[in-house]
Amino acid sequence: MSNFKKLVIEPLRKTNPVTVLVLGICSCLAVTAQLKPALVMGASVTVVTALSNLIISLLRKGIPNRIRIIVQLVVVATLVILIDQFLKAFAYDVSKQLSVYVGLIITNCIIMGRLEAFALSHGPWESFLDGLGNGLGYSLILVIVAFFRELFGSGTLLGYQVIPQSFYEAGYMNNGLMILPPMALIVVGIIIWIQRTRHPEMQENNQK
Amino acid sequence: MKKDINSNGYIFLYATILIVVVAALLTAAVLWFHPFQERNEKNEKRINILRAAGITDVNADNAARLFEEHCTASFLLDENGDATDDGTLPLFVIDRQISVIPMKGNGLWGPISGYLAIAADGNTIVGANFDHKSETPGLGGEITTEKFQNQFRGKPIREGGQMVPIEFDAITGATKTSNGVKEMIDNTLQMYAPFFEKLNP
Repeated sequence: MSNFKKLVIEPLRKTNPVTVLVLGICSCLAVTAQLKPALVMGASVTVVTALSNLIISLLRKGIPNRIRIIVQLVVVATLVILIDQFLKAFAYDVSKQLSVYVGLIITNCIIMGRLEAFALSHGPWESFLDGLGNGLGYSLILVIVAFFRELFGSGTLLGYQVIPQSFYEAGYMNNGLMILPPMALIVVGIIIWIQRTRHPEMQENNQK
Repeated sequence: MKKDINSNGYIFLYATILIVVVAALLTAAVLWFHPFQERNEKNEKRINILRAAGITDVNADNAARLFEEHCTASFLLDENGDATDDGTLPLFVIDRQISVIPMKGNGLWGPISGYLAIAADGNTIVGANFDHKSETPGLGGEITTEKFQNQFRGKPIREGGQMVPIEFDAITGATKTSNGVKEMIDNTLQMYAPFFEKLNP
């Protein structure tokens, strides 16, 4: 149980791939203008990290060292193509919104990072949990960022109007900057700021 | 381990088997998903045609039914504006009145496309919608918003029997995409001009 907690819960907080390791920022900026694509992107990345970790961990004793990166890439690329095709077949709208970013999951540093750092040296079950945890950690940040961007940028959540019409009549306006990618970076920065303030041990200059 | 996993022979064998397995898996998946994807693409096309013609409450679920209801004819035109079997210009008639024509052009980063709905008199635009592959979100990508598309309603394309160039408010900061839209509309209308001529001589 402690193992489960360490592998799945820790990446949500103290070893979060986005806010602590600062990986996967590119797609984080691109798909968080609305909540729905962010949720689908998070789920897709989680599936890919968990399954690729599991597969590589199962194969790890047989993978020739000299072509291990290529083998990892082939496994990740296969999973990503499967997900891309699946979305095109069953979630067409979302796949159009995500457009190239589903394909770019292949280059998401979180996935290759976990394969190299964890799956090659740990058993299948642990690797699966580690992939799951890191995928969820990435999704969590994506969803938080998308929540604020959609709420203040479009006044909606998951496409439903949240900010009442009377606000607009009283002169309230959606913040157009929220829709643009730079604002995602600022929101991620604010999350990192809050996280580091709450956990002073994460600040480098505090370490003795 | 009886075999050295870093020998050349093993590496070749490993890579070959891996690729064959992956290729088989992907082929199976693509074949399985293909019918669903084709249906989605067809639906999207129907939705765009209906939206251009002013039928806005259309979504993926009712697209097939509404299209069946509203699209009364569709044919191919040749360069003289006559309907023939080997024509190259597709045209959809909605509710026996509105002609919807597809457009293709180039934006800043990639292809743009859209549908233009023309009223029965062949003189005015009923509606338009646009799509793009890779324009910048917030700039060129704005061509897909209702705000941009709605301004085309009621714009003249022919005055006194002569085709007139389209005029509309471009998007600030997206000059190339806006020019692309203008070029796309003008080029498409030029090709269809003989048909509208016949519609309202």
